[in-house]
Amino acid sequence: MTEKQITELLQSADRAAGPPSFGRISAHQIRRRLRRRRLLWGGPGLAAAAALIVLGLTLWNRDLGPQEVVVPPEQEKIASLETQVKQLQAQTQATLELVNDVLARERQTQQLDALEAELASIPDPVEELRKQTDKTAFTLLYRADRLYRELNETESAVEAYEQIIQLFPRNRWADVARARLLEIRKPLINDSKTEGDSKCKSRSV
Amino acid sequence: MLLERFNRGDDAAFDRIVTRYAAEVAALANRLLGWPQDVDDVVQDVFMAAFTGLRKFRGDCKLRSWLFTITINTCRRHRRRLGRLRSVPLEDAAPNLYLNEQAEMAAIDSETFARVRRAVRMLPARYREVVVLRYLQGLETGEICRLLGISTNAMNVRLNRARKRLKEDLLELIEVTA
Repeated sequence: MTEKQITELLQSADRAAGPPSFGRISAHQIRRRLRRRRLLWGGPGLAAAAALIVLGLTLWNRDLGPQEVVVPPEQEKIASLETQVKQLQAQTQATLELVNDVLARERQTQQLDALEAELASIPDPVEELRKQTDKTAFTLLYRADRLYRELNETESAVEAYEQIIQLFPRNRWADVARARLLEIRKPLINDSKTEGDSKCKSRSV
Repeated sequence: MLLERFNRGDDAAFDRIVTRYAAEVAALANRLLGWPQDVDDVVQDVFMAAFTGLRKFRGDCKLRSWLFTITINTCRRHRRRLGRLRSVPLEDAAPNLYLNEQAEMAAIDSETFARVRRAVRMLPARYREVVVLRYLQGLETGEICRLLGISTNAMNVRLNRARKRLKEDLLELIEVTA
C-alpha cells in the first residue's frame, strides 16, 4: 500500500462524508457566551458566600438575644466586643498556664527518670562488700590449704583456718575451714583415744 | 492587520478571522473526531479560546497554525469528555440492500468509504492525528511536528505505525481498487 494510495483513499472517504456543519460564530456571540460562563462559574461561589454571611448573622443574633431584634447602639456593641475580647484573653491565658504546667511536669518526670537510670547504674554497696568479703575469705582459705596440703605446716594452717572462722563466721568459706579443722583434728582425737585405752589397759594390768 | 485591529477592540476583525478560518477549523475537528459531522460545539470552543487568547498571540507562527493547535487540543479535551468515540452511525454500519443498479454502485462506494473512515476512527488518537494532518490536511512534516509538539522521528514512527494498521484493516479494499 503506497502513500499515494492511502492519500487517495482517505481523501475520497473524507469527501464522501461531506462537509461538517457548524453554527454561525461572531465576536458578539462569543462575548455573550463568555459572560454567561463567568456568571455560571461565579454564581455558586457568590451564593455560597452570601449563604455563609446570612448564617453568620443569624448565629450572631441568636447569641445576643433570641427575642429582641432591636439593634444595639454602637457603644453597646463596642462594650460587648471588648467583653468578648477580654474573655478570649482570659481563656488564652488559662490555656497557656495549663500548657506550661503540663510542660513543667513533663520536664520533672524526665529528670526523675534520668536520676533513676543513673542510680541503677551504680552497683549496690552491700552487695559489693559481700563480694569483697567472700573473696578475702576464699584467699585466706586458699593460703591455709596450701600451708596444710603442700607445705605440711599443720599448725600454721590450723591458725589460718581459725582466723577465717573468727573473721568471717557466717561465710561459706568459714564452713569449709571448719571442715578442714575437723579433718585435721580427727586423727589427733583418735590418737588420744588409743593412748587413753592403752593407759587404762596398763593400769588395769 | 486583523490582529492589530482586534487588539484595538474591533470586533469586526475577529468576525473576519472567523469567516476566514471557520471552515478549515471545522473540517479538521470533524476529521479528528472521526467524522461526527456536527462539530458546532467544538468550533465554538475553539473560537472562544482564540477570542480569549488572541491578545497573548505573539505571532510566532501563522494564525492558521495557531488555530489548528487550539483545535487539536480542543478535540483531545472533547474526546476525553466523551470518554470514548461516538458510536458508529447507522449509515456507516450497514449498506442499504434494496437499491437499483446505479444506486448500488454508489452504495458500494459509500460502504467502502465508510469502512475507510471507520478504520481511521479506530486508530489510537496519536496515530489518527498524524494521519489526518498529513493525508487529509496536507500539512508539511515540520508544521505537523510543531502542531503536535513532537520530533520528526516521532512523527515518522507514528505515521509508519498508522499506515501499517490501516494497511491491515483496508487490505481487501486496496486489492479491489488496484
